[in-house]
Amino acid sequence: MNSFQSPFIFFTDAVLRAPTIGCMLMCLTASLVGVIVFLRKQSLLGESLSHAAYPGVVIGVMIAGFFKLSDEDQSLIALLIMVLAFFSSLIGLWSIHWLSRKMKIKTDSALCFILSSFFGIGLTLASQVQFSYSSLYRQIQAYLYGQAATMTDVHIYIYGFFSLLIITVICSFYKEIQVMTFDRDYAKCIGVKIKPIDTLIFILIALAVVIGIRSVGVVLMSAMLIAPPVAARQFTNKLYLVFILSGIFGMISGFLGNYLSVELNTALAIKYPGDRLIIPTGPMIVMVASFICLVSLCFAPQRGWFLRIIRIGRFRYRCISENLLKAILRFCHTNELDGISFEKIEKYQSLSPFRLRYLLFRLCKNGWLEKTESGSYKLTKDGKVRAEKIIRLHRLWEVYLVNYLGIGAERVHRNAEEMEHIITPELEAELTLLLKDPKQDPHHQPIPPREIF
Amino acid sequence: MSEQNPYSGNTFIEFFITMMIRLYAFITGNLSFENLASDEIQMIVLIGVSASSAMVGTFLILRRMTMLANSLSHTILLGIVIAFLFTKDSVLPNEAGYAEPINIQAMMLASLCMGIVTTFLTEFLTKTVRLQEDASTGLVFTTLFALGIILVTLLTRNAHIGTEVVMGNVDALHLDDCKLIFIILLVNTALFFLFFKEFKITTFDSGLSRALGISTVFYNYLLMVQVSLTTIGAFRAVGVLMVLSFITGPALIARFLTDHLGKMLLLSVLIGSLASLLGVAISRHILSVYGIALSTSGIVVSTISGLFIAGVLYKKYQQYRGRQGIAKSLT
Repeated sequence: MNSFQSPFIFFTDAVLRAPTIGCMLMCLTASLVGVIVFLRKQSLLGESLSHAAYPGVVIGVMIAGFFKLSDEDQSLIALLIMVLAFFSSLIGLWSIHWLSRKMKIKTDSALCFILSSFFGIGLTLASQVQFSYSSLYRQIQAYLYGQAATMTDVHIYIYGFFSLLIITVICSFYKEIQVMTFDRDYAKCIGVKIKPIDTLIFILIALAVVIGIRSVGVVLMSAMLIAPPVAARQFTNKLYLVFILSGIFGMISGFLGNYLSVELNTALAIKYPGDRLIIPTGPMIVMVASFICLVSLCFAPQRGWFLRIIRIGRFRYRCISENLLKAILRFCHTNELDGISFEKIEKYQSLSPFRLRYLLFRLCKNGWLEKTESGSYKLTKDGKVRAEKIIRLHRLWEVYLVNYLGIGAERVHRNAEEMEHIITPELEAELTLLLKDPKQDPHHQPIPPREIF
Repeated sequence: MSEQNPYSGNTFIEFFITMMIRLYAFITGNLSFENLASDEIQMIVLIGVSASSAMVGTFLILRRMTMLANSLSHTILLGIVIAFLFTKDSVLPNEAGYAEPINIQAMMLASLCMGIVTTFLTEFLTKTVRLQEDASTGLVFTTLFALGIILVTLLTRNAHIGTEVVMGNVDALHLDDCKLIFIILLVNTALFFLFFKEFKITTFDSGLSRALGISTVFYNYLLMVQVSLTTIGAFRAVGVLMVLSFITGPALIARFLTDHLGKMLLLSVLIGSLASLLGVAISRHILSVYGIALSTSGIVVSTISGLFIAGVLYKKYQQYRGRQGIAKSLT
């Protein structure tokens, strides 16, 4: 196996430089614009727009073929394709809007229909190009799946310019975009001009799509609008941070996708020399972006799925163990016994014996229970305090519900059963003050006094 | 096909005349299945595809689930690749451009699995991970599609092979495809016929369906499996992307024309079939008259779009008439 090249070569080498920087720029713009689309819950718009751009690409190539532009006029062809693709995707966007507003077609059907029919029309035209200007057909193919490797410095200048444009526009209209994304009515009230900004945003989306299709391709473009913003959203609630993080994630996936595809290609070429195995760049970028997205969906602090599961599990454990302590206290109290045998506990709890034994073991370990020599469980002093506190919270809440919210005394138990695990010490203090430290709950049960340390 | 294609050199009108003559010969028993011309095979397959997808599409549109169909049509690529890995039959066109006979069971199974997996993953992201619905749909299908493309390129050793899968190739069709698509059409028709009431109730009134004990979730999954079946039947002919047009187009046009579910189903099937017929004829016409070989499936999609525009105009005309009627009754 060969050793992997240093990542820095990708920024200096004359051949590798253009694809690397091109991919990164494209991913950056796509992920910035994607944030807006994501927050407006229109993520699938990118999918339709990128497909709607395809006829434009083909027409651009056709015109290039008609005027007999050769491969030397790369910049002209690239620009031509970009402009036409841009207009074609704007037409697609406008049709979607018109269909859903005026013709009362559901948005999803309109998106889907425009996507497929524009693509179909594009393909029909493409087959004509294949027939008439077969030398240029390669160009169209490049836009379908993206072909980063054939990008040159000319492309960088063009895409760089437009990326800069998009970033500038987003920065300068940041306030308007923010207020419109979260509260359109408020935006209208404070005099933000909704329509021009909306149009501007749509133009930005179309522009980002058009920049992106060269490196990722028509078919996979929408992924770059979705994955980085989703990943960024997992980490923060601040809009500007979402923008920044999303941009960073986008650039990382752009770079890594390109890097991995080039490196794996050389590795595969060495291992299987005859087979010309190729890993395409566009899908690789998408895979990297999705990977980042999945990892952050699962492991992001606070919003991550695994951590949420752990939090929920912990809370459940606390509820069960607190209920157990309470039950043991009540049992010992009513029967005036010192301890309780395992069989008795099991009889009154709907937990599996194994789980129950584990819970009791944990409670003993925490110092709330102790096992006597006869094998029965007994509350320690700590455990007693804790159980009494739970009962106190439960009954305090019942008093509050009855006195202040006017709920019937017979209906408050269930709610209190949940709240007893949630009420914080601060809340307890407030409640005590508000209710003037009551001694009895609505069911005439004594409320244990406040613990004194 | 040893003999010469009877359609070669035909214009649009001549195409239909030849078709009628051939149809007559077929009915009287002078023409067997083996002698079908490539145009006829294309027509049969495309009509099968459009009828199948029009039925599925009607319900998808009414249930607002078309974007899920979009994601299915993408993820099916992964299913195809996996079926290919397991059977080692060349499901995908090889470098020579022609595919070997299709392993129908493997394809069916793959489509079934992908339908369920895609729907499940999307629901999982929405419900359990709590991602908003549009984003989870987009994330799932793009990821699986990217994986599919990478595998396709690796397996077929051709960077542009995806084109065939995505665009389809009607010229590479043969009788086996007819069989596959008509099995799928049969399955779809039978399912919709048998469960028409259930589909109707779950589509329009999920509350009632729950009260009656009809599981909305089950019919959702059933519909998604049908979508993936249809897509897999269509992918060799029209590709995984353009089948979406077959799914949404006819049903949307039919929706312009009627408010009745049964009529809408029938109309959309008819419109889809009509578009396929016209598409093949137009493609032949262009080849004969201008000498340009255009992609037939592309032309069918364009025809559907054309019919759709006609439908929009019709609807607009109706709205105009309606307004005039109101104006008249006011004066």
